[in-house]
Amino acid sequence: MPQLVLDRVTRHFKNKIAVDAVSLRLQPGIHGFLGANGAGKTTLLRMLCGVLKPTSGEIRCNGTDIRVLDGEYRYLLGYLPQDFGYYPDFSAKRYLEYLAACKAVPDALAKERVQEMLHLVGLDGEQRQKIKSFSGGMIRRLGIAQALLNDPEILILDEPTSGLDPKERIRFRNIISALSKEKIVILSTHIVSDVEFIADQILLMKQGRIIEKGSSRDVTDSAAGKVWEYLARPDEAERLNGEFSVSNLRNEGDRVYLRIVSDRCPCQGAALAQPGLEDVYLYYFEELAEETL
Amino acid sequence: MGENFSKSGRFPGAGTKWTFPGNGGQWRFPLDQDAKEKSLAAIQRAAEEKQLRYHPSFGAKLWNQIRFQSWKYRASQGAVLLLAMLLAFYLNQKDVPYFESITACSVFLVFAGNLCLSGLGRLFSWHMAELEETLYLNLKQMVCIGMLEAGIVDLAVLSFLAASTGGRGQTGTCACLLYMLVPFLWSDTLYLHMLTAMRNRQNEYLQFAAGIVCGLLALFPLLWENPYQADYLPFWGGALITGLLLLAAQIYRTLGNCMEIA
Repeated sequence: MPQLVLDRVTRHFKNKIAVDAVSLRLQPGIHGFLGANGAGKTTLLRMLCGVLKPTSGEIRCNGTDIRVLDGEYRYLLGYLPQDFGYYPDFSAKRYLEYLAACKAVPDALAKERVQEMLHLVGLDGEQRQKIKSFSGGMIRRLGIAQALLNDPEILILDEPTSGLDPKERIRFRNIISALSKEKIVILSTHIVSDVEFIADQILLMKQGRIIEKGSSRDVTDSAAGKVWEYLARPDEAERLNGEFSVSNLRNEGDRVYLRIVSDRCPCQGAALAQPGLEDVYLYYFEELAEETL
Repeated sequence: MGENFSKSGRFPGAGTKWTFPGNGGQWRFPLDQDAKEKSLAAIQRAAEEKQLRYHPSFGAKLWNQIRFQSWKYRASQGAVLLLAMLLAFYLNQKDVPYFESITACSVFLVFAGNLCLSGLGRLFSWHMAELEETLYLNLKQMVCIGMLEAGIVDLAVLSFLAASTGGRGQTGTCACLLYMLVPFLWSDTLYLHMLTAMRNRQNEYLQFAAGIVCGLLALFPLLWENPYQADYLPFWGGALITGLLLLAAQIYRTLGNCMEIA
């Protein structure tokens, strides 16, 4: 079973630090990187794939630098980039056959594996269609299929559910969950629900650093005592919405239900609530935004 | 073997007391069942960790790149070879003067070279480079295979043309090769640069235009009155060496930048 170690991995782009001395140990399981756009998730994932070279630090797979492992490391890898590339004139089947050949899947196995993957992502009916005729969701599903083609031990998915409808998103989550046994699955997203229920470890990333990590429960527990519920009058709701971070707001008759993320009790009558991952996300990111301001 | 052990010693490494029966002359060791099971479990773990992997040979990698090229590209390569043969035949049949023959062959070779090299453009387009860089057969290897394939076709074209025109000049076949190789090398360098510089533009017209410009540059000897005479051979030699160095630098840059391109 693989083990990935990131040792003070840093990446600069001119004067900007995209990833700042990240040290991590990744064991088999699902690791969900959550963060806003520009947090450094994609840069980190690209370094994990070997597409980008760290400015400093080292990424090791089972104790050896991935640059030394070279092809042996890529053999273990399945990757879905954020900007997923494809040849528009290829059919889905031909495209997967091409990538199977490039991933060194033996010919005898490749055809069977391609059909299996097309079926898995629900594209077996469209396998002879050219990719240029596919919708965004179909292209994303094809991307997921290609990432899984070589039964990778390390699966890296960058924003895998962007462009998928809710049904496809659930289907994707179930596929990843079922396939994650004895694999390192790393996925980055800014959609909390993508990782909330399936990730063994959630890593919150902000300004190139990991600001919180742990199981879904550990991470949500870190915001215990900071989430409040309150039924407010409309004028009061407007004031509270301006003053505090509100993770949920809905009308309930002549009152407004508010879910507020705050270190202190926002108003008299507000009750503590059980935090969810979205509350945590809001808490950490709002807190840091205030600190940096 | 027996001489190496004392009669009531220990078997080296096993830590197990051994006995010597005396009359039969046969060794008997009491089996340590725990140690045996531990050893077998360790062997089993090591065997499970030892994964059997398929490592395609160079030939298989080459074939995989060739078989997934588009039919248009294959057809254009075939057309280049056919046209090279027809051109060589025409120049011989019509007894075209040496100067015009060399000029025509140079321009043809440059276009043929660019056409063959255009297959590489696909690797850098459509955001494929990033994904290709993470595959077992990565972008760098794909580029090398593409250049090798283009080089083989170019070599075939060069052979046809040099064979048809080389014998007709005063300077011989080697000089004829030199005259054709110089514009070829320079334009290939430029075209290779354009291919990577214009990646991801998604329309191929810019690359196509670059190929045309490179082809027209092959007409530069027309700027001189009689560039193919023996007196100019040192100049052509210098241009060849410079062209070779520039092409090598460009290939090195392209391969070195594969990661940044991705």
